[in-house]
Amino acid sequence: MSDISSKSPSDGRAVSFRGGGFAPKSRRWVGFAVFAFLILIAEWGTRSGWISALTLPKPSDVLVTFHELYQSGLLFKHLGLSLGRLVIGAAIGASIGISVGVLIGLFSYIRSGLVPVIAAIFPIPKIALLPLFVIWFGIGEGSKYALIAFGTFTPTVVATYGAVDNVDRTLIRMGQSFGLSWWSIVRKIVLPGAMPGILSGLRISFAIAIILLVAAEMLGAEYGIGAYILEAGSLYDLERLFAGVVILSLLGVLVSGCIGVIERRVLGWRS
Amino acid sequence: MDIRLDGVGHSYGDAEVMRDITLDIASGQIVCIVGPSGCGKSTLLRFIGGLERPDHGRILQIGTPPEGCLNPLTYVFQDFALLPWRSVFGNISLVLEDHGIRGKTAKAIIDDVLARTKLTDFASALPRQLSGGMKQRVAIARALAVKPAVMLMDEPLSALDSQTRELLMDDLVDLWTRQPFTAVYVTHNLAEAVRLGHKVVVLSRRPGQIREIVDIDKPLGDREFGDADLEAHQKHLWQLMRDEARAADAELLHV
Amino acid sequence: MIKFNRRRALTLLGGAAAASTLAAPAIAANKKIKVGALRFTSHSGSFIAFERGYFADAGLDVEFQFFQAAQPMAVAIASGDIDYAVTAISGGLISLADKGAIKVIGGALKEEAGIDGQKYLISSGSYDAGVKTLKDLDGKKYAVTQAGSSFHYMGAKMAEAEGISLRFTPLQKVGAIIGAMKSGQVDGWSIVPHIAKPLAKAGAWKIAGNVSDYIPDYQVTTVFTSAKNAANERGMTESFLQGFSRGVDDYAAAMIDKTASQDEMIDLIHKYVYTDRERAKAAPSIINGTMRLSSGAALNLASVQDQLSWFQSEGLVGSDITLDTLVDSSYVETTGA
Repeated sequence: MSDISSKSPSDGRAVSFRGGGFAPKSRRWVGFAVFAFLILIAEWGTRSGWISALTLPKPSDVLVTFHELYQSGLLFKHLGLSLGRLVIGAAIGASIGISVGVLIGLFSYIRSGLVPVIAAIFPIPKIALLPLFVIWFGIGEGSKYALIAFGTFTPTVVATYGAVDNVDRTLIRMGQSFGLSWWSIVRKIVLPGAMPGILSGLRISFAIAIILLVAAEMLGAEYGIGAYILEAGSLYDLERLFAGVVILSLLGVLVSGCIGVIERRVLGWRS
Repeated sequence: MDIRLDGVGHSYGDAEVMRDITLDIASGQIVCIVGPSGCGKSTLLRFIGGLERPDHGRILQIGTPPEGCLNPLTYVFQDFALLPWRSVFGNISLVLEDHGIRGKTAKAIIDDVLARTKLTDFASALPRQLSGGMKQRVAIARALAVKPAVMLMDEPLSALDSQTRELLMDDLVDLWTRQPFTAVYVTHNLAEAVRLGHKVVVLSRRPGQIREIVDIDKPLGDREFGDADLEAHQKHLWQLMRDEARAADAELLHV
Repeated sequence: MIKFNRRRALTLLGGAAAASTLAAPAIAANKKIKVGALRFTSHSGSFIAFERGYFADAGLDVEFQFFQAAQPMAVAIASGDIDYAVTAISGGLISLADKGAIKVIGGALKEEAGIDGQKYLISSGSYDAGVKTLKDLDGKKYAVTQAGSSFHYMGAKMAEAEGISLRFTPLQKVGAIIGAMKSGQVDGWSIVPHIAKPLAKAGAWKIAGNVSDYIPDYQVTTVFTSAKNAANERGMTESFLQGFSRGVDDYAAAMIDKTASQDEMIDLIHKYVYTDRERAKAAPSIINGTMRLSSGAALNLASVQDQLSWFQSEGLVGSDITLDTLVDSSYVETTGA
């Protein structure tokens, strides 16, 4: 071995850095900047004319339409009815979905019996069943709740039983080895253990609920954000169409935010 | 309360994993079970704990569990098995809740076991905030809370680094010295076996059979890291196991 | 030896093509165009013109593009995917005209006294529950496909005349409405006679009135094209209307005036409409569906103006839209202006 102390530092080269990257961090303002940029492009394009009125409405006109909707008081009529449908439908679908998912996760016969059924109904476009729902549940609110509930049910079931399957079996063995009752094990080990999976499933389910809201309001709805969008679409009124779409997007952001809050509260134990 | 294994044997499908194991576990003693991988040490422990049923033979409890015992056969798991969403206190309270022990009574028990495992200051910590050694002490505290007749310890120190392992062995010895408990202690680490075992049971490779039972008479409290007589026991055990371990290793490769 | 090079061959071919299209008024020879159509008898004008070669005579090589609903057809015109189509005036159509995308250039289906037209209906369930006349529909559910559709207009005009108010219930599709009427989920509706009459006979609903009684001279459907075609492709547009009008005349002669063979006409129409049924079953429906198609694609401007005004009064389309924005009246004879 050579004597390193006899060599001067000028003999050495600095080791070049080749690490770093591959670790995206959240930079909140970038998202806003991208939105603002896209909107400005659209505004500029529609004003200067290289985006035709047929292609895209002026963002400023959409804002005006939104303001008019707010001032007429109809915004809250639409929003109230839609939120009601969304909340009731999604609550029914999610609660039944979680219950069935847990049962599938726990019992062999229920699993063998229901998993193929769920697999069969998952890919059905729920919109296609709308006429059937109208016959079953009537043209009023019933069919709308049913459609949204059905649409949220299947992804919730799949997410839930997947989450139950993923609960650490050693925790369950531990519960058994301490003589915990079946119900205690389900309540205190399986459910909290499955909660992260269930909540991330609910994120998807609720997004689907918002998508289905428009479909649900296709039939027999006079008011509601979906009905408003459909009417705007059939009248080819792009300003109203976009105003409605923006409301739906905001609704999606809101729902996602709510689940985020719940996750932080309920899943604080995760690192 | 004693435990007696009477001609226990078992197969998984065509593969016989253990054969004709007969063993007495006396009250107040720690019995270590060592053997090469795949010899059925952990399976044997699950039989004793009633989590699995053997094909042949019986496992008997002799005598009645001591007064106030909530869960006679209590496990300590290799990977701790703590609920990550419950605090240290909550994890221990979990095993008391089903026995209707809540409130003040529960707090008294939990405070006692936390003090015995030197965890008093960490009662409200979540598992993710604890080191591996502390997690295993929580698991031991939890086991102590139900006043077990026999502790079934499945490689409890294997997931820990060697320094933590030494510290925890000292803790276990302290615990036993202050209040002797009965334990079946499965390990593949011979140093642990000679340090903690009153009896060391050596199992052969698959199908697991008892090769030899080594009694170590030196009191637990007097045993120390690097004791010459313990080294001798350990050497003897290793000689017993070496060929078995090598054959078992080759066997696994051929599977 | 004759030198028969490529240039000479092309000249000869060009001469032949020119000779064969001398009859055409237009500049175009075998110009390819796309015509949007629904498989309804009311679109027979185009089918006949195509089958009997009237479009070819006018120098057009027509390709049909079939749609399930009128709305996407209007959008396809606006996007330039098809050139000409026939559909009812709807809020969407007016909005697209307002955006400078399309123009109404002629008339097609219209209500005419003496010819069976569209019917107002009351569902059997409601009828049994005491809704005997259209006036009794006050406050009841009236089915429409979408807000701003022709069904909406017809319902509103009837309600206005009867002095009642209706709860318009959008159900998107005719099929869904028929289901909802049968099960009594909605109370009233209006539809063409060949759907109205058989199901009335089957007990699904009661026919309670004629649309023509409430909206006289109703211009139900119009011929329309893109604003670009209307403005810049005059020759092609005139050629299309010429071919189309000959088809309409043949239709009227066979189906209404009975001066030509009805059987032959049904055979022709059956190629496009009710193709999933055998001819014997399709024939009554085709006959029942007979309505007046405006001769020469004449357009009733008064009716169009009335529809436009109604859409505006409902706030469904912008109040500043004028008839000129919607209609290019330079192509066909207009009435009621």
